[in-house]
Amino acid sequence: MVTALPPRTAAAPTTVPVTGLRHRSWALAARFDRELGDPCDEATVFSYEHAIRLDRTETFPDEICAALNTWGLAHYYVPAAYGGALDDFQDLQMLIRTAARRDLTTTIAHGKTFLGSLPVWVGADAATAARLGGLVRAGARVSLGLTERTHGSDIMAGELTAEPQGRGYRLNGEKWLINNATRGRLITLLARTSPAGGPRGFSALLVDKDDLPAQAWQCLPKVHTHGVRGADISGITLHDALVGPQTLIGTEGSGAELMMKSLQVSRALCPSLSLGAADQALRLAVRFSRGRELYGRHLADLPLTRRTLAEGFADLLLCEAVSTVAVRSIHALPSELSVTAAAVKYLVPSLVDGVIDRLGSLLGARSVLGQQYAHGMYQKIARDHRIVGIFDGNSLVNQYALVSQFRSLARAYLGPDDHRPGLAMLFDLERTLPRFAAEGLALVSRYGSSILGTLPGSVARLSAMADRAPALAGAARRAQQLGDAASELHRRMRRVAPTVADASAECFTEARRYALCLAGAACLGLWLHSNEAAEAECSSGELWRDGLWLHASLRRILARLGMQDGQDGQDAAADDGVFDELYERLVAHYQQGFLFSLLPCPIAEGPPSC
Amino acid sequence: MVVSGTSPQEREFRSWLLERLGQYLRRSVEEIDTGVPFAEYGLDSVAALSLFGDIEDDFGLYLEPTVAWDYPTVDSLARHLAAECVRRVTGPLGEER
Repeated sequence: MVTALPPRTAAAPTTVPVTGLRHRSWALAARFDRELGDPCDEATVFSYEHAIRLDRTETFPDEICAALNTWGLAHYYVPAAYGGALDDFQDLQMLIRTAARRDLTTTIAHGKTFLGSLPVWVGADAATAARLGGLVRAGARVSLGLTERTHGSDIMAGELTAEPQGRGYRLNGEKWLINNATRGRLITLLARTSPAGGPRGFSALLVDKDDLPAQAWQCLPKVHTHGVRGADISGITLHDALVGPQTLIGTEGSGAELMMKSLQVSRALCPSLSLGAADQALRLAVRFSRGRELYGRHLADLPLTRRTLAEGFADLLLCEAVSTVAVRSIHALPSELSVTAAAVKYLVPSLVDGVIDRLGSLLGARSVLGQQYAHGMYQKIARDHRIVGIFDGNSLVNQYALVSQFRSLARAYLGPDDHRPGLAMLFDLERTLPRFAAEGLALVSRYGSSILGTLPGSVARLSAMADRAPALAGAARRAQQLGDAASELHRRMRRVAPTVADASAECFTEARRYALCLAGAACLGLWLHSNEAAEAECSSGELWRDGLWLHASLRRILARLGMQDGQDGQDAAADDGVFDELYERLVAHYQQGFLFSLLPCPIAEGPPSC
Repeated sequence: MVVSGTSPQEREFRSWLLERLGQYLRRSVEEIDTGVPFAEYGLDSVAALSLFGDIEDDFGLYLEPTVAWDYPTVDSLARHLAAECVRRVTGPLGEER
């Protein structure tokens, strides 16, 4: 059994002493993972081996989804106000991430119900939401019907029509490339309610297939895909389907606005899938490098290997930091989610695709073999993860969402900052978040990005801290460089010609730089507001001490903003020290059986046995 | 193209909108029909949202971001902006000063 994963270690430690910053969402994730059972044990329903087997035969993960329902995952898709367990989106973020580190296909297949329900939570009346809440908790699947065969991201070109019929509507048309279109019982549709279309010509409808006669709808065949092979990617056709007035979500004509607001929330959460995939990829790469011998040494003994792994860890942590800030924004800064969510939905899947790619080069041939290493898990992660950057608004859609706001973003950043809200609530991981209020969502941000707005102040604060604590000097210099890069970027953005309808290729490159700067601001904010509590924690505290993860994250961001290695001798030496130290922390997390995370979260398989 | 019966303020908004759209769409003002929806000239729905920031900047009128969705032509938006100005001067309930 040379290909098998390490067997379950006897009496794997399930409780690890934790002090300092204990976050309820990370604790919830640890319990979820433990109760799902050891993923290395082939007798566990949600095991690595099971997920791979289903992928090979393009089989839907029915049994695993049932196990997730038994655990109660679907309760976290329903807001507490409608009878569910969702009162803090960080819980959902950590649950998705935990499931995704076992298998992306299953997580996407199961999590789709949250995406399909979201427009109801955001825009429907309380009675409709409570009714759907009951169905979701009972295990009903809900899909989201936005795209059509000839219209992908351009959702306002949709041709599925809802004509008034009595007090309700008559539906005709097709939605295609819909996750769970066949297996879902309900589907949230964006339908054309005005023949002329336009942004007020569409409405959102919640359609229950169980309410329709058999001849009124037909599912389209499953589409064979490169990744997420087991998922139900299909479509649905409606023929004169008559639905009642209660299917309308919100008001007629508000469908486009409602979908755009709902997508802000889901785009803040999508990076959780990437974080899970990156954890799995990094764990496989660490394991391989420690087991593989060449030229009489272990692969992990080579400096290049250690640097590559440490950089992958830094990328994961910076993605976690900015994703966490985005998810906290759903509660604490919803008026700017049009910016924040677009930035993370673009940036995180793109960075994680890069991490998977780079770590794959360490594994060499084993990153592409179907079965010979760890059941062929690595190639599956790489295939499955490609979809995360495409669905729920692809990279270009999200970059354009930023480009279209460039002038106001630049104006807000370069102008006076007295209108900016204080963001201690957003950045301090110990602070309880306010209840999510959908009314706070806005299609564009009036005051630009307050998160990026904190950057100059954060740079100054870190610099002042470094005067007293020299160990922070390296991080403070990197922060200063980021602050300079952000100022230059905003000055360029201000000069962008107001031709929003015809954005240039250079604008999309600037949108990438913008998302990177926002990520840097989020890292700084999170570290400055949470480091005291987090440092006191025994297992992850060392990641926070002396700004370790912060320094590494800023270095990775600056590299992507065009800063060359070896440009500055003293700083480059400091960076080397940081990545050496980060490598040690990575190995410690691996050996102790912890999620690769800023906060402690033991994983179900416990310490590796090889 | 001055439509009879419009207020001076509405005409001001109309010419401001035409100039702004001309920049957005890289078209000459003469090419834009004030009764045709912005979308027909290629101003997508996301881009149309950014008009609200321009309106706030130039006139101090803070409106819903969707104002250009609800009033999707130069004529209708200019009329709405003029009416908003009047409404704000006369107070929220529309009573005379």
